[in-house]
Formats: sequence, structure tokens, C-alpha cells
Amino acid sequence: MPISFFILLSLFFVGAIGSLLLRKDDSAANIWSSFFAIAGSLWGLLFSVAIIISEHTLVFVIDNAPLSLLSLSFNIDLLSAFFIFVISLIALFTSVYAIGYVRHYYQKYNIGDLGFFYNFFILGILLVLTASNGIFFLIGWEIMSVASFFGVIYDRNNQENIKAGFLYLVMTYIGTAFITVAFLLLYKFIGSFDFATIKSGVGLLPIGVKNIIFFAALIGFGFKAGIIPLHTWLPAAHPAAPSHISALMSGVMIKTGIFMMIRLFLDILQPIPIWWGVVVLIIGMTSSLLGVLYALTEHDIKRLLAYHSIENIGIILLGLGSALIFSSLGMPALVLLSLVAALFHTLNHAIFKSLLFLGAGSVINQMHTRNMEEYGGLIKYMPQTAFFFLIGSMAISALPPFNGFFSEWLTYQALFQGIAMLGSSIRWLFILAVSVLAFTGGLALACFVKAFGSIFLARPRSMEVAHAKESPRSMLIGMGALAMLSFLFGIFSSQTVSLLEKIGRSFDMLKKIPETILAPNNQSMMIKNGFASVSSLTFLLSLVVALIFVTVIINLIINRRQKIKIGATWNCGTDLTPRMEITSTGFARSIILIFKGILKPSIQHTIDYSDSESRYLPKTRTVSLGVGDVYKSYLYQPITTMITGLSLRVKNIQSGNTNIYVLYILIALLVSLFSIL
Amino acid sequence: MIIIIWAIQIILTPLVSPLCVGVINKIKARLQNRKGASIFQPYRDLWKLLHKDEIISRDASWIFRVAPLIVFSITLVIGTSIPFFTSFLTNTLTGDMLLIVYALAIGTFFLALGGLDVGSAFGGFGSSREMTLSALAEGGFIFSFLTVALINGTTNIFTIVNADIFVHGRYLLPTLLAFGGFLVVLLAETARFPFDNPATHLELTMIHEAMILEYSGKKLALMEWATFNKLFIFLALSVNLFFPIGLAHTAGIITISAGIIIFMIKIFLGVLFITLLESSMAKFRFFRLPDLLLISFILNAIAIGLIR
Amino acid sequence: MNQIFLQFLLGIMFLTIIFLHLSRKNFLASIAYSLQSLIIMLFFLNSFFETNNLTILLVVFLVLIVKVILAPLFFIRLIKKNALAFSVSTYLNTPLTIIIIAILTFIAHYQKFSPLTNIVPANQDSLSLALSAIFLSLLLIINRKGALSQILGVLSLENSIVAFVVFAGLEQNPALQIGIIFNIGIWILIATIFMSMILKHFGTLNVSSMNNLKD
Repeated sequence: MPISFFILLSLFFVGAIGSLLLRKDDSAANIWSSFFAIAGSLWGLLFSVAIIISEHTLVFVIDNAPLSLLSLSFNIDLLSAFFIFVISLIALFTSVYAIGYVRHYYQKYNIGDLGFFYNFFILGILLVLTASNGIFFLIGWEIMSVASFFGVIYDRNNQENIKAGFLYLVMTYIGTAFITVAFLLLYKFIGSFDFATIKSGVGLLPIGVKNIIFFAALIGFGFKAGIIPLHTWLPAAHPAAPSHISALMSGVMIKTGIFMMIRLFLDILQPIPIWWGVVVLIIGMTSSLLGVLYALTEHDIKRLLAYHSIENIGIILLGLGSALIFSSLGMPALVLLSLVAALFHTLNHAIFKSLLFLGAGSVINQMHTRNMEEYGGLIKYMPQTAFFFLIGSMAISALPPFNGFFSEWLTYQALFQGIAMLGSSIRWLFILAVSVLAFTGGLALACFVKAFGSIFLARPRSMEVAHAKESPRSMLIGMGALAMLSFLFGIFSSQTVSLLEKIGRSFDMLKKIPETILAPNNQSMMIKNGFASVSSLTFLLSLVVALIFVTVIINLIINRRQKIKIGATWNCGTDLTPRMEITSTGFARSIILIFKGILKPSIQHTIDYSDSESRYLPKTRTVSLGVGDVYKSYLYQPITTMITGLSLRVKNIQSGNTNIYVLYILIALLVSLFSIL
Repeated sequence: MIIIIWAIQIILTPLVSPLCVGVINKIKARLQNRKGASIFQPYRDLWKLLHKDEIISRDASWIFRVAPLIVFSITLVIGTSIPFFTSFLTNTLTGDMLLIVYALAIGTFFLALGGLDVGSAFGGFGSSREMTLSALAEGGFIFSFLTVALINGTTNIFTIVNADIFVHGRYLLPTLLAFGGFLVVLLAETARFPFDNPATHLELTMIHEAMILEYSGKKLALMEWATFNKLFIFLALSVNLFFPIGLAHTAGIITISAGIIIFMIKIFLGVLFITLLESSMAKFRFFRLPDLLLISFILNAIAIGLIR
Repeated sequence: MNQIFLQFLLGIMFLTIIFLHLSRKNFLASIAYSLQSLIIMLFFLNSFFETNNLTILLVVFLVLIVKVILAPLFFIRLIKKNALAFSVSTYLNTPLTIIIIAILTFIAHYQKFSPLTNIVPANQDSLSLALSAIFLSLLLIINRKGALSQILGVLSLENSIVAFVVFAGLEQNPALQIGIIFNIGIWILIATIFMSMILKHFGTLNVSSMNNLKD
């Protein structure tokens, strides 16, 4: 079996190297890298499904590692296999999409480089998901981060992208530093970087150190996952990258942070104190609510989608946090329920977020701008893209029968069980979590009405729209397949959930408990104690039946002689201009004003008068609406100022005189000899 | 017999909902010292609309044409998913409370999109206001359901209404508080006072009406009917979930008929309450409405806290 | 050759370093460096006679040719070409330099360093002396402003390290020998290129006037 894993890795590796070698020929590089990425993804799908179904864990080590602390050991258990499945699925369709999308960059930038970084990115993620040694994990993490950095700055003519890439790089490295601290602490107290050894030796950690490791890991992996307030790189970096890389970053890369959190907190570091779960739950709450609120303020479509990723990470963390709390309280059945909810939402979010990013990419390709205020009426020019985007919007707003609803349903059930079963003070936390989840769902729906309406509906708001054409077929296939998956995972949610339960029960603490979520007739999901049950297929069927029934009766039976005329929209007798439509800024303004305590909106008027003396007749008026960037001013700016001030003072050490430098060497030599000997 | 009951269950919603609205209008008219239209007037209005020609804006896409069908079908599906006059039916497939909440959200989604599709100013701001209120009302909606669910140990609506009355008797205070919260949500979601005026066409006061302004003919008939259905559904939920008295426990002609009659009386009480409320207050300013929804939410939170 | 002779040679080497500190003429400094390299070569020759390792013989020849003969010749030519006869500029005046030399030597002989100098207990004094030679070479680099003196300082540092290694009994290590050969080659290369570049750019080899590395 390790052979199959190495085939998987080498497919992507060959794709990367070959793409780089073919850099002179754009279309050949594109075909090469896409072919190998697709082949690798298909292989990855087969591989991961085989592992999940056979419930067989692969553990192997490559010998003759160069250093003593680094052992190239892999551990592919069911959780890793699940995440490999997710990335293969998404990578498959983004690679198909990329065949058509990358043509947009021919003659502008080097396609061979793009293919190289794309394949290495996926390779890095695969290493991260399967490494079983701390240093090897960090190597994979670095590959993933650096490859995605180059993806982010790929469109380098735009200065903003370079800045975004730099911000991304800095924040990733701060995160990596925290992760390294966590691993080093584990090494110091347990004596090994190997995950299996750490797991068996976790009792050696003193409780204070364990808490420090928790915080270091939470902050380090939180930087990658994009929890608030460590999220500022996400809305800058995801829009800057090409859309298929954004889809992978948003759909899969941020989930690697979640993967390691699950691995560390639920598997390796058990048993854990209860306040760890409380912290994660609170972080999940703030991230989801603030993520969706900031998404509402955006009119750049990719930034809007990036904030929605933050929101969905928050929802996944709600599931994970409740799992941690239940594990500390010794309720394994509920741990399984919450874990399955978190995993299912991970899968679903990957699917519909990639779909949305790919749709956004198609639109941006045609419109050459990311500003939603210049779109409008695209449904007539790009009907298939609009349809797929509609399905993605319905999925992310948790509307049945698509998959988003069912994973949020499971998350709700986990929280409901918490409220029903737990004691008073923790109960209130869960009640708060349910309210946050409810508000988040409603606000997400509002945001996607705004997004879909601004982009596709009504009249065009700029001249560019008339030049828009439907995307090429490969892009449509990529998006269409993801939309179909979104639908299918919703319909077959009960089967998916039983597979996820199998994955969940591979964890040590959950090995002996029976199933929590039953599937009685194989088409509905039911929580074991009868608290709730829902059937996706029945709902879909009844809706379809009702629709057909209503359509037949209304359109074919009643009043068949009805005439339908096409006329103009009611405009109160004035000219019908695009300015009559609501803008995306205006759509969300009411919500922003309601939440103004959190969002701190600002409004600025600038008036240019014709006659500055009398000030009666304005020539131009400019109104600037803004949303305060709280994190920058309260968190990052003070830290940056402090570090800059410190650096300025330390700069004096660098006098420019080489003799002083050798003096430093001598002093360092003496001091180190003194202290070692 | 069960089949007949299910058949009645399915057609009850579209059949009876226009009557409720007719009664509301009649009582309001009487309170305003007018004679008012007959209580069957909404039926006549629907019939008239179904037989009129339509004008569709040239800016509208297939979403505009499909939205009324979807919104109406959703209300039909939900109508079959909640119990009206029986307590012995079981529906573990679609009777889940979260499914009801989010299925209604589908309706709101397409309604708002339909409003945006024509590109008129009315549709735009109508959708904006509707989504704002809907987002905020969802919290109270889920919470009031959650209170009843926690009292009964299940989120399946059919099972909740089957519960022993003493269960509710013991938890009287939480049930009342949750009922109060649910009433606020009912008014918000069905576009009645103080959230929205269903009879206005003034730009300042329209929310729901603004979104359906462009519809005409059959589509308008479906939209209006769907609104009536939604009102009926919410009334049925409020009277059955919180006061599950008088439901038929066994399948027999007498019990079923008694169940239907008692159900109609309960609905009438709800209708009366709405009418009195509408006649005694004005519509609130838009930015006062979130405060109202927040009150509903807090009432429900307190109710949950009082359980156990 | 017995140990006493080797220790005597080491003493001479130590004195050359002190001489490098004190000398004012570059020509004499180069000669002193050549003497150092000769001593190193003798160390290796002794080691060859003891072990008959051919690689060491190769190293002997290389050291002889490059370090003893060629390097000083190269420096002398450089001195003549650029008229660098004198190198008087230092940061510390002479008495202070001598005091610091004394302090560093004393530190090297200090007890704290005994684990380091006790690698071969019989040679403890020699190892302490070699360690102090290392420190003094570093001081040479720090103290001098002229680039030529600094380069000589680095080269004598390397010689001191080699002496330390020889007395610690590690000269059999092939890595050391290869390292030395490699080091010699690279240093000559860099020294030539670098010094001519600096001279071309700055017009002088006085290091303290090279404050701005950019134009």
C-alpha cells in the first residue's frame, strides 16, 4: 500500500517539475500540469476511499533520513484519509477548471511557473496531512505556505497583490513560529518529534506546559485557519491569487489548520481540561459572527467570499469546540456527534466554497474587475455560471436540500444536546453558541442575496457587461461538477454521515461506542435518542412534487388563454437607468447600521462648491462610506509600532564598521565558551 | 382513514388561508366603523388575478418567473410538515423544526431575488429590508422552537404536539415566554404590523409589497396566496406548539371533526389577536424593529434558562 | 621530533602573532605570516613522519607552496603595487593593546576552559597557548583598520585553529585536511578579487572609510 501513496505524491511531483521544464510553451505547460493534477486527484480519491472503506491505517517510515531528529514517517489513518479525500475532490475540479481559466494568463505571465507552484502546493498539503514526525510536518507546512505565497503574488503587475502576498507570508511565518514552539516544547518534555511517541508519552507533560502548548498550537494553526483576530491575511491574500488557487486555499488549505487542531486536541493531547473546549467554542462564535458581518460590508466579490470562509471556519470550530467540551466531560457519544458535524461541514464548505470561488473567477475573467458594483445582469450573458453560483449560494446559506443545511443541522444538534445535557454555566455558553449560529445563518443568507443579486440580476451597471461571454467548457464542467456534488452530498447526507461516523470512531476514545446518528431507512438522519430526525430525500421529493403540481395546474390548466407581454420595469415615469437599482453597498447598509457597535461604520462627506464664498451650489459631492478596521488599529498597529521602535533602537548595533562586528564575534565566542564549559 | 387525514392536511393550508386574511380584513373594517368586504373576498381576488394577463419586465430573468412557483410550493410542503388537528400522525422525515425554519428561508431567498431581478428601486430596497429583518428574526424563531423542543425532548413537531398537557403545565412560564417571543417572530415573518403594512404601497412603509410590486397576473396570485399560506402556517404553529389542546388523539370521524373545529377556533383567536394589534398600533420606524426582534430573542433565551 | 620541539615551535608561532600586533610595516607582517605558515608546515611534517599518511604529505606540500611562499610573495607584490608600506592605524594605542593581549592569554589559560584544553591532557599547555592564539588573531582583526592587516589576521586565525587541532590530535581527520586545502584556495581567490575591487572602488584600503557600501 505505501506504493500507492508514493504514486500519489509522485504524480503531483512530476506534474510540477514537468510544468517547470515546459515553461517556454504556455499551452503545453498548462496541459501537462492540469493532466497530472487531475490524474493525481483521481488517484487520491481512489486511495482515500479505499482506506476509509477498508478501515486500514497506514504507518510507514522511509529510512536513511539525513538527520537524527527527522524521520520521514507517515501515518495515514482514517482522519488523514478523509482530508485527502477532500483535497483530491476539490483539486480534481479546480484542475479541470484551470484548463480553461489559465488561458486568461497566456502571454502575460509564465504558465509553467503557475503549474509548478500549483502542483507543489497540493503536494505540500498532502505531506502536511500525512506526516507523523514534527519536523517532517513542518517541512510539508513550509512547502505548502511558500507554494501558495507564489500563487498569491502570481499576478505581479498589480501592486496590491504583492502587498497581499507579503502580508500573507509574514503572518504564515508568525503562525509557523508558534507551531514550532509547540513542537519544541513537546520535544523537550517527551523527547521525540514523532507523533505516535508523543501520544503515548503525553502524561509526562506538566499541566502548565500543556496549556502553553495548547495556546501555541491554537494561535499557530489559527493563523492558518483564519480565526478572528488572526485573519487579516485572508481577505487580502485570497482575492489576489488566481481563482483556482483561491478555491484551493479557501477550500482546503485553511482546513489543514482544523485538521491539526483535531489531531492535537482530540487525539494526541487527550485528556484535556474543559476550558480548552470553551476557548475554541468562543473563538468559533466570534469568527462566525464577525466573519459574516464583515462579508456584508464588502463589495469586492472575492473578499466577500474570503470573509465567508472565516465564517464557516467559525462554524466548524463550533463543532470542534463542543467535541472538546464533551470529551472533557466524558460524554463520548456527544463527542462523536460534534466531531461528525465538524467533519461534514469541512467537506461541505470545501465543495461549495470552491464552487463559489470558481464562479467568481469566471465572472472576474469576463469583467476584468472584482468590484461587484460594476456587475449586474450577467445572468443573461453567463446563464450556466449564474445557475452554478446560485446553487453555491443556496448551499452556503444552508438551504435544504443542499449539503450546507445538513452539516449545519448536525452542528445545531450537537449544540442542542449540549444545552439539554449539561449543567448550568456551560449551558449558557451553548445557548449563546446556538444564537450565534442562528444569526450567522440568517446574515449569510442576506449576504448571498446581495451577492447574487448584484452580480447576476437586474440591469447591467457598467458597459463591460455587454462584452461578457459564457465561460469555456472546462470551466463550466469544473463548476457544474461541484454544484452536482453539493446537491448529491445533500441528498445522500445520511450515507455520508455514516461513513463519517466510521471515521470518527477510529479515534481512540470513541472506539467502543455505538453509532450516534442513525440512518433508519437509509435516507434520513436521526439522532440516537430520538431528539431529531430529518430526511433530505423526502424533502426534495415533496418539493419537486409540489412544484410540478403547482406548475401544471397554474400554467397549463388555469386560464390557458393568458397573454404575457414584455414591458419595462415600473419606474414611476422617469428614465430607467442602472442607477435606479440598489447597489451592493446600499443593500447591506441597514444591517451595518444595526451592528454599528461592532463594525464601526464611518461616513465622510466632501463637497466641492462652485463658489467657495457663498457655498450654495455644490459642484461635486463625494460620500465615502467605510467600515473601521478594528484589528488593525487595536491589535496589529500597537504591536507593529512597538516592534518598529524596538528595532530602531537595536539598529544601533549595526554600526557599519567591520571591526565592531568581529569584536561581537570575539565576545560571543568567550561568552559561549564560558557558559558551555 | 389515515390517507383521508393526510389529504385534508395537504389541502388545508391553501384552502383556508385566504379565509383567515378575509376575516382579518373584515374585523379590521368593522373596528374602523366600515362595513368591509366579505370574508371570501381574498378568494375572489385570487381568482381574478389568475385570469388576468401579465406584463413581465424585459430585465427579468428566469428567476423572476420561477420564484412565485418555488415560494408557493415551499408553503405547501411546510403545510404538510406541521400538524394541524391531529396528534397521532408521525412524520419523522420532514417534521423537524430546523427544516421548517430553513425551508421558509428558501422562500424568503427566492422572494428577495425576485424583487432584485427586475432592477427597480422598490424591489431593491424591499429585498434589503426584508433580508435584514429575516436575518434578525431567525434567532428568535429558532430559539422559540428550541424552548419547546427542550421541554419535550425532541425537535420533531409532530411529537411535540403529542405531548401530555401536564408537560406544558409544569413548564408554564417558559412556554408563555417562548410564545411571546414567537408572536413577535410571527408578525415579522408574515409582514404584519408593526413590521410591515400589508396594505400599503408607500415607499417608506413597504417591505413585502415592494418585492412583489412587479408581479402581475398568475404570478401575483401565487405570491399573494403564498403570503396567506405563510400566515396560516405561523398561526398553526403558534397555537399548536405552545397550546397543544384539543387535538384529535385517535382517528375517528367524531374526534377528527372535533379536532378540526377546535383548531379553527384557535386559529380564529390568533386572527383576532392580530387584528386587534393592527388596529391599535402604527407601524414602527424601520430602525426600531431590530430592538423588537432583540426583545423576542431575549424572551426566548430567558425561557430556555428557566427550563429545569 | 619530540614534543618539546613542537612546543617550542608553538611558542614561536605565538610570538609571531604578538609581532603582528605590534609591527608597523606591512612587509615585516607578511614575513611573520610566512614564518607562521612554516611552523604549521613543520607540524604537519612531523605528523607525516609519525603516521606516513600520504594525504598529510600532500597537505605539507600545499602549505609550503601556497602559504609559506606564494602568499607572502603575493602580499609583498600588493604592497609594492599600491604603496601600502605602513599600517599604523589601529583603534587602541599600543599599551592598551598589550594589556588586552595579556588579559586574553590569561583567560585562555583559565581553569574554566579546562574541558576544552584537556582533550589531550599531556598537551594542555600547548592547547591553552593555541586557544590564546585564536583569541589574539581575532583581536588583530578587531584592532586594525587596514584591510591587509585584517586579512593577515584571518589567515593567522586559521593557522591558530590548525595548530589547536594538531595538538588536540585531530589532524588525522581527512575532513580537516580537505578543509584546509579548500580554504587556502578560496581565500587566495577571494583575497585577490576582493582587495582589488575595494581598491578600485574606494581608492584606499582603510576600512573605516568604507562606511557607505552603496553609492
